Amino acid sequence: MFTLGAISFVAPVALLGLAALPVLWWLLRVIPPAPRRVRFPAIRLVMRLVNPEESSAKTPLWLTLLRLALLTLVILGAAHPILNANNKLAKDGPLILIVDDGWASARHWTKRQTAFGNLMDQAERQNRAVAVITTAPGNADQTRAMESLLTADAARQLLGALQPKPWPVNRIATISILNELKVDGSPQIIWLSNGLNDKPDGSDVAEFVVALQKIGPVTVLAETAGALPPLLLPPVSERDGLTVSAKRAVSNVAASLSVRVRGEDGNVLTRQPLIFAAGDSDGKLKLILPAEIRNKVTVIEIENFNSAGSTVLVDERWRRRPVGLVSSRKRSASQPLLDNLFYLDKALDPFTEVRVGTMAELFKRDLAMVVLADPGKMTKKQNNQLLRWIKLGGIALRFAGPRLAAEKNPVLPVRLRKGNRDLGGALSWSKPAALAAFTENSPFAGLVIPKDVRIRRQVLAQPTVDLPEKTWARLTDGTPLVTAEKRGDGWLVFFHITASPSWSNLPLSGLFVGMLQNLVQLSRGVVGEASKRLLKPVQSIDGFGRLTDPRPGALAMKGSDFLSGKASPRHPPGFYGDETARRAFNLSPSITHLTPLSELGASVTRDSYQETREQDFRGALLIAALTLALLDIIASFALRGYFTFNRATAALLVLMITPLFITSVEAQTVVPGIPNPANDNRDFAPVLNIRIAYVKTGDSQIDNTSRAGLEGLAFIANSRTAADMGKPIAIDPATAELSYYPMIYWPVTEDAPLIEQATAAKLNRYLKSGGTIFFDTRDSSGGGAGADRLEDIARHLDVPPMTAIPSDHVLTKAYYLLREFPGRWTGGRVWVQQSASQAAERANDGVSSIIVGGHDWAAAWAMDDARKPLFPVVPGGERQREMAYRFGINLVMYVLTGNYKADQVHLPAILERLGQ
Amino acid sequence: MTTSLAELHHRAELLAAKLPPLMVAAERVAATVAQGVHGRRRVGQGEAFWQFRHYERGDPIQHIDWRRSARSDSVYLRETEWEAAQSVWLWSDASPSMQYQSSRKLPAKVEHADLITLALASLLVRGGEHIAPLGRGTIPSTGRMALNILAAALDDREHDPKEHSSSLPPFEQVPKHGRVVMISDFLEPLDEINRAVGVFSDRGVDGYILQILDPAEQSLPFGGRTRFEGTENEGNALIGRVEGVRDDYKIEMAAQRRGLEAIARTAGWGFGIHTTDQSLEATLLNLYVALTATIEWTGVN
Repeated sequence: MFTLGAISFVAPVALLGLAALPVLWWLLRVIPPAPRRVRFPAIRLVMRLVNPEESSAKTPLWLTLLRLALLTLVILGAAHPILNANNKLAKDGPLILIVDDGWASARHWTKRQTAFGNLMDQAERQNRAVAVITTAPGNADQTRAMESLLTADAARQLLGALQPKPWPVNRIATISILNELKVDGSPQIIWLSNGLNDKPDGSDVAEFVVALQKIGPVTVLAETAGALPPLLLPPVSERDGLTVSAKRAVSNVAASLSVRVRGEDGNVLTRQPLIFAAGDSDGKLKLILPAEIRNKVTVIEIENFNSAGSTVLVDERWRRRPVGLVSSRKRSASQPLLDNLFYLDKALDPFTEVRVGTMAELFKRDLAMVVLADPGKMTKKQNNQLLRWIKLGGIALRFAGPRLAAEKNPVLPVRLRKGNRDLGGALSWSKPAALAAFTENSPFAGLVIPKDVRIRRQVLAQPTVDLPEKTWARLTDGTPLVTAEKRGDGWLVFFHITASPSWSNLPLSGLFVGMLQNLVQLSRGVVGEASKRLLKPVQSIDGFGRLTDPRPGALAMKGSDFLSGKASPRHPPGFYGDETARRAFNLSPSITHLTPLSELGASVTRDSYQETREQDFRGALLIAALTLALLDIIASFALRGYFTFNRATAALLVLMITPLFITSVEAQTVVPGIPNPANDNRDFAPVLNIRIAYVKTGDSQIDNTSRAGLEGLAFIANSRTAADMGKPIAIDPATAELSYYPMIYWPVTEDAPLIEQATAAKLNRYLKSGGTIFFDTRDSSGGGAGADRLEDIARHLDVPPMTAIPSDHVLTKAYYLLREFPGRWTGGRVWVQQSASQAAERANDGVSSIIVGGHDWAAAWAMDDARKPLFPVVPGGERQREMAYRFGINLVMYVLTGNYKADQVHLPAILERLGQ
Repeated sequence: MTTSLAELHHRAELLAAKLPPLMVAAERVAATVAQGVHGRRRVGQGEAFWQFRHYERGDPIQHIDWRRSARSDSVYLRETEWEAAQSVWLWSDASPSMQYQSSRKLPAKVEHADLITLALASLLVRGGEHIAPLGRGTIPSTGRMALNILAAALDDREHDPKEHSSSLPPFEQVPKHGRVVMISDFLEPLDEINRAVGVFSDRGVDGYILQILDPAEQSLPFGGRTRFEGTENEGNALIGRVEGVRDDYKIEMAAQRRGLEAIARTAGWGFGIHTTDQSLEATLLNLYVALTATIEWTGVN
């Protein structure tokens, strides 16, 4: 390999041929082209014209130059030049690729894939064995197939399927794998690093490099420190919103990141800039959110940094929870300041959603906490209801009061003594008491007690053995002020004072708010026994920070591990819990630092990732040489006077040159809309049976996949359903007649061409007249580059309001009953038209004119001739493939039959009518 | 030859049918010349009545017109008008150079040469003249038979290597006052042509030279580097840029033509040029006019 700037030559020896060019120049100049031979009767006359000097004619200069250019092209082509060639492989011997596939690599994953491609190209050229070792821990059930020596082609496929993991790398653990690796010859190691140290001092990286160097020379690819991904930390709840903070690896310049907040259904709720000041590696952003919006927040992420580290999941802890205030009677509007509920309302309202009503009313909805501020006499039934609710995990907060004393058997954590205790009253020598500091086991621990809080009156608990344990707050003299008892999963908490300032000034202090806030936090097991419960994974985020179905191998997690646990294959970041309660487990809290990869010493080559895929010029050069050769032939004939330039020669020229360009021109020669009479032996196949069309992307691999996928789908649909489908047809939406096709499958690639205005109008007509376009962004969740491209493509289309497929949508029951719609990937959302407007329903029989998803369905459906699937599904399993087929059949049924299944909801009514 | 003999014959007849019979002026009275149908407005051998005259001593008794003599006292002789048939020897070149055709659309020169020869012969025969192919020692004859002989001779040349290779007319003892029509491309050196013509004209033979050329031979429409090769082993010539010498060539060709004209003028013969892209009728008419014009040119004594 010989390199000149960005161009490298695989066979540089051929370049020596260039040295022979001057000789060729001389030869070509001296040997003129053979003359044309003409038999001519008037030869005697011609003979008199012969100039003896003229006979040693020379080749014209331009022809010589043409021939030299031809030879130069041939020589260059033989030297096999490659632009942006990857020259990192200097020696031969096996190639060991160390790939950091932790969260930090996700940001520039495409660059890494380019690097994979370049390296595999080169390894293939040099016929090297390749071992691939990933440093992030894999799933327990993942085979370690990568870590043996493979051919470059096999390694390329493995690398193509490699995805970044949503947890950090563990390089030290990789060393043992390296030690087991058996390689012959002199291996070369290329480490595609994530650019970060594991430990702040870099000791682990140093150790890792030493281990690598035992095997062979090491080249490290790393991003520049500025390109390292930032880390987004979980937000902190504020009264009026959330404060998010982020860390970055370098702090020298000011930077701004765009923080995006998304809700449950993926909608973007807000998008605000997070500013890093110069010299500051931490940045903060206060998101001021109205309560309704705040309660919807599910994901906070840094835009354009698709990684698990820049994505934070938000659960109930950050939300305002519903708190019920039990009120047995109308609140007195005339004297609000005497009402218990007034103070509770004021204290709870900033961070919770306060509901007021009777107990029966309140328990109709989910509550985090119920407050009974001396509501009056409670029936036995009410008491039982309350206790049942507490056992399920609720928190009941009771306050003392005049009416409590009247109750015979109140539901309380402690038994009360008769009568109240008056402090500092007219008949007492004692002074109103202050609060003692909170003990460690109290949920109020850490709250600052204002000096002026005084308790004048309270109810007293019967002293029992367990009273101190039950006491969460006490007065300076040790009298319990707040007692609590665990009942089932919930807590019963009792304030020995009223919620109004009539017995104490506590309800007027900030401490009261703090105490209530802590109690609300207590709900749903923030602390206490409930955290020992195992929560099973509900959703995981993948390496790119996308919410998907739980990763295979994800295990249930103890509540107590959420704060201290580290993300790992067993516990990937994501939501854990059940349908009622989800807890978010984030990657970022466990990452304590972002340190750029330290210096590795002179023996390690450092490099950055190449942006560009290498390009092979050999074919282009040889084609150019062939073209020149043709030109040379033409020129030689012209020089010999065989033809003058007239129409016939022009036609001949065109005939000779056209085949070179015919492939590229082919697609453009069809004039859209104008029926070509020469083409009138049109293929009527599209109308003879039902065919699904797919849009040609120009990428032959994707087109082949689309074709194979739709063929596979047609086969499955034909064998299982009454549909009689033909082979799929590739179309170009700009030129093809669309009305033949019930559905068009449109794989959207990152660099798919945009559509013209006219094409958009045509597609809009198609959509309006009952067609369906199925966009597949092929990027698993609909949030990647394909989706961005789709946005651009669909700009001119009449895209109706879209929604994720509702659970009662016809697509879920058109043939099979489905709950998810997997393709090659799964876990993303599939979007259909909102069935909002009646007019739209009628226009299109309720069939969504546009369906959008990113699961790469064609790849899941694709079959070879032996009806064997062509691509593995991810995460895998025949069930997923079967589900993909079922979704395909549902889709076919949906576009073919419309909404008749939707009518089935009225079936009972119809049957009833028939019965009459 | 590209066309069969019968067809050539037929086409020549068709061509000739468009012109009135050609009567070649006979300028000299010669006993060797067979008598034809030309009334010479003088007494001589012939069939048409010319005049009666009184018998004089020595007149042949067979010429006395007894019927006229019986009507009067004197004896009258019946004199007929002298009618002399002209003999024309025709030659057309069949050497390889005549096979040239510059384009498939144009006929070979030899084809036109033969057509003109036969058409001319047909005209002559209809005029009562005697014709014979030159260089074969054939006695001139007339009628359909003569045309057949000529046509057979044209056909025969193909198989006669001597005739086939020669670009110049052969010599034959053509009687004085006989006529010769030569049709060829006449691209040979002028002195050779002059010699070939001289042997006839020196003997007082009248004649006509028709040069047949292909358009390409006049304009040299080639380009680029070209090696010209002779058709009759003249050698070859390499021209670097034919375009560059085209004008010089035209000058050479004009010189050749002027030389031919000079030869014809010296010999007192007629001269014409025909190119294969011209119509045959036009050439034939020119030839016709030229042959009849010699009457005025040579005068009647």
